[in-house]
Amino acid sequence: MKKLLAALLAGVMVFSLAACGKGADDGKTDLTMWCIATESDSNRHSYEASIADFKAAHPEINFTWEAVENQAYKTKIKAAVSANEMPDIFFTWSCAFLGDFVSAGRVYCVDDVYATYKSELPEVMMGNVKYDGKYYGVPMTMNIVGMFSNMDLLKEVGYNEVPATYEELIDCCDKLVAKGIIPFGCSGKETWCVTEYLESIIEKTAGATALNEIFAGRASWNNADVVKAVGIFQEMIDKEYFDPDGIALTNDEVKANFMAGKYAFYMNGTWNCADFAKAGLDFVKVSEFPVIDSSKSQLGELIGGPSDTLAVAAGSKNAELAAKSAFELAKGICHYGYLDGCGLPAWTPDYDTSSVNALTQSVSEICANASQYVLFGDTAMSADSAAIYLDYVSKIYSSKIDGQAFVDGLVKDIK
Amino acid sequence: MKKIYSSKWKIALFMAPALLLFVGILILPIFMSGYYSFFDWKGYGPKEFVELDNYVELFTSDNIGFLKAFGNACILAFISVVIQLPLALFLALLLGKGRKGERGFLSIYFIPVLISTVVIGQLWLKIYNPEYGVLNVALRSLGLEEWTRRWLGDEGTALMAAFVPTVWQYVGYHMLLLYAGIKSVPPEYREAAMIDGASEGKVNRYIVIPYIKPILKISTIFAVTGSFKSFDLIYVLTNGGPDHATEVPSTLMINMLFTRNRYGMGSTIALLLIVLCFAAALIISAIFKERGDDYGTKRKNTFGLGKKKKN
Amino acid sequence: MARNERTLSGLVRRKRIKETLVYIVLIIWLLINLFPIYWMFTFSLKSNTEIFGENVVGLPREWLWSNYEKALKVGNIFKYFLNSTIVAVVTIAVVMIVALMATFALTRFFWKGREKMMSFLMLGLTIPIHASIVPIYVTLSRLHLLSTYASLIIPYAAFSLAMAILICTGFMQGIPFELDEAACIDGCGAFRIFFKIIVPLMKPAVATVSIYTFLQCWNELMFANIFISDTAHKTLPVGVQALSGQYLTEWGPVGAAMVLATFPMLIFYIFFSKKIQDSFIAGAIKG
Repeated sequence: MKKLLAALLAGVMVFSLAACGKGADDGKTDLTMWCIATESDSNRHSYEASIADFKAAHPEINFTWEAVENQAYKTKIKAAVSANEMPDIFFTWSCAFLGDFVSAGRVYCVDDVYATYKSELPEVMMGNVKYDGKYYGVPMTMNIVGMFSNMDLLKEVGYNEVPATYEELIDCCDKLVAKGIIPFGCSGKETWCVTEYLESIIEKTAGATALNEIFAGRASWNNADVVKAVGIFQEMIDKEYFDPDGIALTNDEVKANFMAGKYAFYMNGTWNCADFAKAGLDFVKVSEFPVIDSSKSQLGELIGGPSDTLAVAAGSKNAELAAKSAFELAKGICHYGYLDGCGLPAWTPDYDTSSVNALTQSVSEICANASQYVLFGDTAMSADSAAIYLDYVSKIYSSKIDGQAFVDGLVKDIK
Repeated sequence: MKKIYSSKWKIALFMAPALLLFVGILILPIFMSGYYSFFDWKGYGPKEFVELDNYVELFTSDNIGFLKAFGNACILAFISVVIQLPLALFLALLLGKGRKGERGFLSIYFIPVLISTVVIGQLWLKIYNPEYGVLNVALRSLGLEEWTRRWLGDEGTALMAAFVPTVWQYVGYHMLLLYAGIKSVPPEYREAAMIDGASEGKVNRYIVIPYIKPILKISTIFAVTGSFKSFDLIYVLTNGGPDHATEVPSTLMINMLFTRNRYGMGSTIALLLIVLCFAAALIISAIFKERGDDYGTKRKNTFGLGKKKKN
Repeated sequence: MARNERTLSGLVRRKRIKETLVYIVLIIWLLINLFPIYWMFTFSLKSNTEIFGENVVGLPREWLWSNYEKALKVGNIFKYFLNSTIVAVVTIAVVMIVALMATFALTRFFWKGREKMMSFLMLGLTIPIHASIVPIYVTLSRLHLLSTYASLIIPYAAFSLAMAILICTGFMQGIPFELDEAACIDGCGAFRIFFKIIVPLMKPAVATVSIYTFLQCWNELMFANIFISDTAHKTLPVGVQALSGQYLTEWGPVGAAMVLATFPMLIFYIFFSKKIQDSFIAGAIKG
C-alpha cells in the first residue's frame, strides 16, 4: 500500500516543482553536514570558524552545510533517518536521541577513526556516545547546570560570597524574600528549565550514582530520596523563592529578567556564560548547587556532560572520510566554542585559553574538581519517556502533585 | 455527438489526474492511518504490531489525557454554538435588513477571517502578555489591579483565553454566510409580513430564520467540526499548555508524532478525529431534519452561484 | 388628530433611538475588529519603551521604520512571502487544471457511475486535513520531498480539489450543450471542444476557485510547519512564527513582520471584497 501511494504521489509530481539536485564532477568528494547552528545560535561563530579551517585544510573535499532551527531540526533529522536520506555528517544530542538512530542501524561506528584521536579526546568524554561497547559519535562541547548568582543583590542581604552550604542558601533566600527580592527565576513554559533546578536538588539529595541509575532505567523512580528532594523543591516554591510569573514565561524572558537584575539566582546551562560575559554583567558569579544530604552526595557531583555531538550516517558513500572529517570539525568547533564561552571543551585544549571569559573559566574549575556527571534527564531518556518525565516535572512546578505522586506516576507511565 | 462523448479512454484520461490526487492524498492515507494505528512505531526502525493497545491506552491513560483534550474540544464546540453563532446571526440580521453602510460593516467584520491565524495568535499573545499586554495594562489603568491575570499561563484562565480569539476570528465568517442567506429571502415575504403588522423581531423569528435554516445547519456543522479540528491558534497561543490545560486533539496528535515519536498513537488520534467529524456532521444534520422540513431546500438556485447541491 | 400625530412622532422617535442603538452595537463590533489591526500597525513602528508602558495604544511618537528593515533582513519575510506566493500560485494552477478536466468528464461525457463518482469525490469536502498527516509525511520523506514546494503543493491541491470540482460543475452545467453540438458538426473532437469552447467560458469559475484555493493554502500552518524545515522554503505563517521566537523581547520587528504578512492581503481584499466574499459563500453553501 505504501508503494502504491508512493507511486501515486510520484505520478502527481508531474504537475509540481520538485527539488532539483546538483552534482559537481570536479574530482572532489562531496560531504554534507546538517546542524542547528543557525545565525541566531550562540554556537554559530564556532561552526563557521571551524568549517573555514576545515575547508582550507581539505581542498579535495567539496563541503556543504546547512543549519536548521533546533525544534525543526529534530523533525527534519528524524524524517531523514526514516527515509535513510541523512547527510554524511549530522549534529545530534548524545545518549537516547542518538541511541534511537544507532539501534535503527543508521549510524556509522567510529571506533577505528577514534583510535587516532584518543590522545586528544579522553575516553571519559565518549561515555554518552557508547552503545554496546562501540562508539557512534564525536562529542564537541559539554555543559553543566550552573547556579548563577547576582552578587549585587546578595550583598544587599549581607552575603559577599555565594552561600556555600544548603543552610546558608536557605538563610540567604529568606533574607532576600524579606527584602522583597525574588531569589530564583525559572521558566515554567519550558519545562526543561525546571529540570535544571529539580535534577540538581535530587542529585544533591540522593547522590549522582542513584540518579544515574534511575535515568538509565536500571533503578526505580520509587526512591525515598527523590520524594524528599521534590519536597524540598516544593517547599522552596511555597516559601516564594521563585518568581510566580515565571510559570508563564519562556526561558529567554526569564534570562532577560536575571540579566536585568530581577533575580538573585538563575540556574541554567553554562552555555549562558558567553551571553552574560558579552553583556558585560560583572555582578554574575557561577557555582554549583550546595549539597543537601552530605551522607549521600558531595560537591563535584554535577548535572550535565557532553551532549552536543557530530555523528556519521551509516549510509554515507564516504563514511570513513566523513568520520575523519567529523572528528576534525568537532575538534575545531570545540576549540572555538570554548574560546567563545559557549561551553567547556570535550577535547583537551592544546591552545592558549587565557582569553576565555572569567565565568567559563570558573566553570572549568568546577569541572576540574568534578567527581561524577549525570546527564540532563530529558537527553538521557528516550523521546517518549522524556516527554512523560517533563510532564510530571511541570506538575511539580505548578504544585499539582507531591513527590510521592511524582514517583508513582513515573513508575506507572514510563515503560 | 454522443460518440465523441462516450470514449472510455478519454473519460479515463480526463478523470485520471483528479482521481490520482484524490485517492492518493485523501483516501489512501485514511486506510494507512488505520493500519499504523495498530502498531507501536517510532517513524523509523521496526514496527511492532500491538493490536488495539493504542486505542486502549488513548482512552485509559491519564498521562496522554485524550479524554481531557476531547473534552476541551467539546467545550470549544459548545461555546461556538451558543456564543459565536448567535452573535453572528444577530449581526447578520442587523445588517441583512438593509441599512446604510451595511456592505462596509460586513467587509470589515470579515477581515479577521482573512488574516493568517499565526498573525492573529501572535497578536493575542501580545494582548495577553501579563506585563505589557493591552489587557492587563487597561485593567491596571482602570484601577482593577486585582483582575489582572497571567491569562495564558494560569490553568484557570488559559482555556478561555485561548478560546476567545478562536471564537472571535470566525464570527465574521458565519456572519457572512448567514447574511448571504438573509439577503436571499425574497423581499415579498418580508413585505407581506410587515403589511400584516409583524414587528422586525417577528419577521426575523418567523420568516427569516426558518428560511435560512439550511445555512444555519451548515454553520453549525462548520462550527462543531471546526472546533474538533482546531489547531492553529491553540498551537500558537499555548501549544496545549500550561500542563495540558488547553490541549485539544490536534495538538495532542502533533505532540505524539513529533515530540514523543509515537507514530502509531498519532495515527490513532488522526483516525478518531475523522470519525468524530463525520459523526458530528451526521448528528447535526439529523437534528436539523427532525426539527421539521425546511422550506429553504425548495429553492433552486441559491445566491446565483450555479446549481445548488442538496445538502 | 393631534393625538395621532403625537404617537406617530413618538413612533418615529422611538424608531430613531432604536436605529441609533443598532448603529452603536455595529460600531462597537467594528472597533473590536479593527483595534487589533490598528494596534499591530502602530506597535510595528514603535520602540520597546513606547510599547511597554509609555505609549501603549497611541500613535507612535517616533516612527521606527527600521523595525521593517529588521523584519525583512533578519526575518527573511520577503523570502517567505515569495515562497507562499509560489506555493499558492502553483497550487491554484494544479487545482484548476485537474478540476476542469475532471468536471469536463463528469458533466459532458456519458458514462455509467458518473453520479457515483461525483458523490465519491464530494467526500473530500468533509475529510479533515489532519487525517492524512502521518501517511503523507512518511511518504513524502520516503520520496525525499520534505522541505520542497511540492510537499505543500500536492496536499493543498488535493484538499482543495473537491470544492473546485463542485464549483466548476455548477458553472459548466450552465454552458449550453448546443455549443458542443455546433462544434461537433464543425468537426471538433472532445479535446478541441474542451480547450476551445469550455475552458474559455469557465473564466468566472476560475476566479472563484482561485480565491477559494488561495485562502485555503495561504494561511495553512499545520502542514507548512511540519513538512518544511529549511528557511529556503518556509511559508509566511511559519516564518512569522519563527521570527516571534527570535525577537521575544523586542516587539517592533515582530509587529513589522506581521504587518508585512497581512497588509498585501488586506489591500487585495479592499479591491475585491465582493468577489472574495462570494467565493467563501460558494465554498460553504455548496459544501
